Amino acid sequence: MLKQIEGSRAVAECVAMCRPNVISAYPITPQTHIVEDLAMIVGQGKLDAEFINVESEFAAASVVLGASAAGARAYSATSSQGLLLMCEVIYCIAGMRLPIVLTCANRAISAPLSIWNDQQDSMAMRDAGWIQLHAEDNQEASDLHIQAFKIAEQTSLPVMVCMDGFILTHAYEPVDIPEPKQVDDFLPPFLPKNIVDPRSPKGIGLFADPRFYLETRYILHRAMEKSEETIKEVSADFAKTFGRNSGGFIKTYKLEDADLVIVSMGSVVGTIKELIDRMEEEGKKVGLVQICSYRPFPRHEIYNVLKDKMNIVVLEKSISLGRGGILASDVRWSFPRAEKKDRNISSFIAGLGGRNIPMDDLRYMVEKVEKEPVELEFLGLKNELISEKDL
Amino acid sequence: MEKLPLGLVIDLNQVVPYKTGSWRTLMPVNIMQVPPCTHACPAGNDIRGFLRVLAEKEDYEEAWHVLARTNPLPATCGRVCPHPCEAGCNRRDFDSSVAINCSERRVGDYGLEHNLEHKKLVSGRKEKIAVVGSGPAGLSCAFHLAKRGFKVKIFEAYGEPGGWMRYGIPPYRLPNYILKQEIDNILRLGIDLECNVKVGVNIPLDQLTREYNAVFLGVGAQKGLGIDVPGKDADNVYTGVDFLKQVNSGKWMEIGKDVVVIGGGNTAMDCARVSKRLGANVSVVYRRTRMEMPAITAEIDEAMEERIMFRYHTNPVKLVTDEGRVVGIFSIQMELKEPDASGRARPVPITGSEAFIPADTVIMATGQAVDYDGIDVQTVDNQWMYTNEHLMTSMEGVFAGGDAVAGLETVALAIGQGTQAASAIEDYIEGNVESNLAQPPVVYSRDLNTYYYNKQKQFNKEAVSIHTRLKNFREIYPSFDLKDIIEESKRCFSCGLCFHCGNCYMYCPDSAVKISPSTGGYEFDLDFCKGCGLCAKECPCHYIQLTLEK
Amino acid sequence: MEQSAEELNKIEKKDLFTSGHRACGGCGQALAARLVADASGENTIACVATGCLEVFSSPYPDPSWRIPFLHSLFENAAAVASGVEAAYKALNKGPVNIIAQGGDGSTADIGFQCMSGMFERGHNVLYVCYDNEAYMNTGVQRSSFTPLGARTSTTPMGNKTRKKNMPLLAADHGIPYVATATVDDFRDLQRKVKTALSIEGPKYIHILAPCPLGWGHHGELSVQICRLAKDTGIFPIYEIVDGKVTNVLKIPVKVPVEEYLKLQGRFKHLFKKGQPTPEVAEIQEIANQNIARFNL
Ligand SMILES: Cc1cc2nc3c(=O)[nH]c(=O)nc-3n(C[C@H](O)[C@H](O)[C@H](O)COP(=O)(O)OP(=O)(O)OC[C@H]3O[C@@H](n4cnc5c(N)ncnc54)[C@H](O)[C@@H]3O)c2cc1C
Ligand SMILES: Cc1ncc(C[n+]2csc(CCOP(=O)(O)OP(=O)(O)O)c2C)c(N)n1
Ligand code: SF4
Ligand code: SF4
Ligand code: SF4
Ligand code: SF4
Ligand SMILES: [Mg+2]
Repeated sequence: MLKQIEGSRAVAECVAMCRPNVISAYPITPQTHIVEDLAMIVGQGKLDAEFINVESEFAAASVVLGASAAGARAYSATSSQGLLLMCEVIYCIAGMRLPIVLTCANRAISAPLSIWNDQQDSMAMRDAGWIQLHAEDNQEASDLHIQAFKIAEQTSLPVMVCMDGFILTHAYEPVDIPEPKQVDDFLPPFLPKNIVDPRSPKGIGLFADPRFYLETRYILHRAMEKSEETIKEVSADFAKTFGRNSGGFIKTYKLEDADLVIVSMGSVVGTIKELIDRMEEEGKKVGLVQICSYRPFPRHEIYNVLKDKMNIVVLEKSISLGRGGILASDVRWSFPRAEKKDRNISSFIAGLGGRNIPMDDLRYMVEKVEKEPVELEFLGLKNELISEKDL
Repeated sequence: MEKLPLGLVIDLNQVVPYKTGSWRTLMPVNIMQVPPCTHACPAGNDIRGFLRVLAEKEDYEEAWHVLARTNPLPATCGRVCPHPCEAGCNRRDFDSSVAINCSERRVGDYGLEHNLEHKKLVSGRKEKIAVVGSGPAGLSCAFHLAKRGFKVKIFEAYGEPGGWMRYGIPPYRLPNYILKQEIDNILRLGIDLECNVKVGVNIPLDQLTREYNAVFLGVGAQKGLGIDVPGKDADNVYTGVDFLKQVNSGKWMEIGKDVVVIGGGNTAMDCARVSKRLGANVSVVYRRTRMEMPAITAEIDEAMEERIMFRYHTNPVKLVTDEGRVVGIFSIQMELKEPDASGRARPVPITGSEAFIPADTVIMATGQAVDYDGIDVQTVDNQWMYTNEHLMTSMEGVFAGGDAVAGLETVALAIGQGTQAASAIEDYIEGNVESNLAQPPVVYSRDLNTYYYNKQKQFNKEAVSIHTRLKNFREIYPSFDLKDIIEESKRCFSCGLCFHCGNCYMYCPDSAVKISPSTGGYEFDLDFCKGCGLCAKECPCHYIQLTLEK
Repeated sequence: MEQSAEELNKIEKKDLFTSGHRACGGCGQALAARLVADASGENTIACVATGCLEVFSSPYPDPSWRIPFLHSLFENAAAVASGVEAAYKALNKGPVNIIAQGGDGSTADIGFQCMSGMFERGHNVLYVCYDNEAYMNTGVQRSSFTPLGARTSTTPMGNKTRKKNMPLLAADHGIPYVATATVDDFRDLQRKVKTALSIEGPKYIHILAPCPLGWGHHGELSVQICRLAKDTGIFPIYEIVDGKVTNVLKIPVKVPVEEYLKLQGRFKHLFKKGQPTPEVAEIQEIANQNIARFNL
């Protein structure tokens, strides 16, 4: 049913339809509305779940860890500092192969404090062994949560659904909210593999000495890689059941005969698509590769769709300080060494700390890389604010 | 190699535990040790053993059998033994010793009350052994040999068996029916007893050596010795043992109003107390002080309670006679000088301190000697019989024990030697080389962890009033309550042997103390024991000790 | 579950935490963990914090636990246990005993917040703290439970602060049951575990668990040291039921703290040529305060 609805509310309703048994979260802007809505849904008895109000994100993650290890379908949501505070547990959940789903309402990281959107927070968790799915809009954000539980439980890997804070979480858009019955048909009940249960005592969270640790990481890495199939399958399944494409590995837009391709992820692709359409009218062939699954990284897909494209620009809302664009380096890595020589892959950092990314800035970026490759540039940088002596 | 499971999650029921035993440098071992009570018990009684049976199972019958393994006369010993075991008891350092002697008596009495019978270990051996004398030494030797299947015959010079237990110790301390029942019970093992036969007089010793595979001499020290003073041969002068022998044979003695007993040993005490019961005023004359008196403290105390007069530092110099009868003694006061060879202060007369003590009867309880009449064996200093370390006398195949060998000792010691001699005789007959098993060490208070024991008052036996006890020869300590003795047995620390407190089992941080499926006792699982020593430290009774790992 | 006094006093040995762990010989914590596991029985889930206990008891592939074991991190045992409890509720499973457990560091320092949260939210979980008065697993560093005077690898001159009073802090959360115990009195310890588990809601048991390595005593003394800790007044034994201190263990004969200190290498520097330094008097003062406060 199509509803004009806040992104957070849409996500909350979809999460609820997935029937998590245990929800635990700690409030942080811009995630708050999601958990408030869920608290209400549980409170009103519309969802039979334990909603645990904890004293920190660290505890929230630990509670869902425990719950999942005890056989519950478990869910949490956070942002920014909250995700960083969870960091230890985030790694732990993956290592323990617990199929937890967590929403990251993407937000910048302190200091300086900022409550506004960028993707530095989830980026900071990219190596943890979590599947990371990035939503373009609230429809996809909602849909991805339904897929996330299925992917997680099939792969025994945790899934983080990333949606841009405020831009999506607080935006009212029409979203097609599925019927609970549809979700039930799509998402089978959770059949946990290993749980703490006195009837069949298991040891969960054992420690591994150097004889075993390396292999556990290798196995986890391979599981991440292999989850590609599941992500695609579940997305295809979803399309079949719900009649729309959501998620998957990557999506492309007007790529076919593009001379220049923008690679990006998250809500900014909406603006990019608009720009592409306008430039098309102006006779310029610009295409888009939109990354939905940031982890596992769709390296082969990217290569396949971009192997003939010689001018690529990566636009992202995060940075590895002292190194540069993170997504950019992932994209650069997607091409075999030999093929990189005359291919230009430019890197733009944009929108950090909630800075608006106006169409004009994007146009500027396209025009600039048409002329020459850009190693790294901060889009929309106000040089007038920067003192020379700080550089 | 096992494949790694998903998330490294494993089924805990399938775990093969890692063996930490290889870390160990010290190893706990169970070492059964000799408790000091047993070490001090001349009969070698398994005191801890019978007390544990009482404490854990409250089973008097089993306790009796435990005691009877070493001692066929528990009811007797329980009455007359000076109980050196209690002096040795580790519990003395904690509060007060366990009342072992009373417990032994109660168990012995229980055996008699319930007609418990001794069990033969082996039956039907053809070898024959002759035992001379039916005192505790002879009875014990006969008992242990009969249990091992030998054909045993006892030759006894007197009309009834028992030696000094029968004819020396008065019935108010050891009722005759108790002794008789215990002896009968021993004889029921198939032992022949022939009384009124004095070996060496009525039947030559070599006849026995010829007819029997071995002979045991338990002839005791039956001859009373007096002191050499003028007047000693008067009619109304007796040696202590002769006096008691007559009284205990049932003869009524006319002893008159005043009786003087010379000496400070147990015989002197018995003579004095018997005389008192025969109605006399009794004084005991002794050269030194109470401190030096060889009699058991309790005996002296009881004698004093019974208003017997003690004259210390007093030495008889002459018995004053009138018409062949003594009418009193002349004595002289002594003072004590530096100790003599026996370690006791040496009495020296004080000139001019002579005094006259009137007496209708004088009893000289001043020593006994072996009666060697017709028994021609080598002696030590012309006094006690010589034996080698296997208790064999100078005659091949003739063994000896008890007072005749050890000097004036105790019933328990005689029993112990009888036991020892029985083993030696068995070895002799079987041609066994000496089996010299090293005795386990003795466990002392300092080895125990007394934290786990609670202070508790000792069982106290109650005598009948002086008034009633002096009226007759009835036993002065009435029977003890079974329950009281069970309580008392629980005071035993079980020094040196596991009493299943479970400490090691509960305290081992490695769960390396297991319950043995075969014995139900605790045992170490050396696959896992790290040798930390906690079990040994917390074992109350020192049954666990740490040794170096092999 | 109502239990008779007889059941509560029964000593349990089931080896639900068993041989094969890698603790040092005579480790009080290993002993305590077994006593706790055995008292709680098969129908129990152990949520264990990182620390010596976890490391010595749960290496792949041969952990020592025979009840379900769940470990995740150093500081979150209480939160993980909360999650397990929530799952049991949500899935309508149980009843089951859930015991969060960890060392003093994971309890009172880094994990304090998680534990406080668990108490405050009222989860039906028992938290057991194995107090060995330092971070042993990482090599004997100071924790907020390290007592005055004790030498650790980060207080090489002796610790200058007093020990945090965790049982009272726990009780002040308004939880229904708090108890202290030591490994020497296993009956008492197990009774407290069983009592705790029979009460609905959050519970806290604080167990003194001597560490031969960190305290510098021979493993065989671990039990004796506990006894001295009690008899000196250094470690009072009591229960707090619904906020009221009860069942205080009276000290039969009060022992000077020196007896306790002298057995342990970590206090060795408090005695110069056998003579106590002023810190000993200060430690005695702490013991005296305990004696007065709890009427020991
Ligand atoms: C008055 C008195 C009180 C005592 N009180 C105690 C006491 O309270 N507690 C205690 O422990 N001890 C006591 N004793 C000591 C104890 O009785 C003796 O140490 C013990 O009886 C010695 O035992 P035995 O078998 O060596 O000799 P005895 O008991 O002397 O027995 C020797 C037996 O051998 C017989 N016999 C001797 N020669 C021959 C022979 N040629 N042929 C056949 N038979 C022979 C004798 O008739 C006698 O029956 C007391 C002794 C006396 C005299
Ligand atoms: C976040 C974090 N910080 C530090 C550590 C390192 N660490 C592991 S165990 C431990 C100390 C454990 O101390 P305690 O909880 O008292 O348990 P013990 O080992 O003494 O039994 C430390 C510091 C860690 N594992 N995680
Ligand atoms: S306590 Fe028992 S075993 Fe120990 S010495 Fe005394 S009686 Fe013997
Ligand atoms: S500790 Fe107790 S159970 Fe263990 S050996 Fe010693 S007495 Fe026996
Ligand atoms: S307590 Fe256990 S590990 Fe330590 S020595 Fe005894 S049996 Fe071995
Ligand atoms: S360091 Fe201490 S707590 Fe850790 S295993 Fe050793 S004794 Fe136990
Ligand atoms: Mg610690």
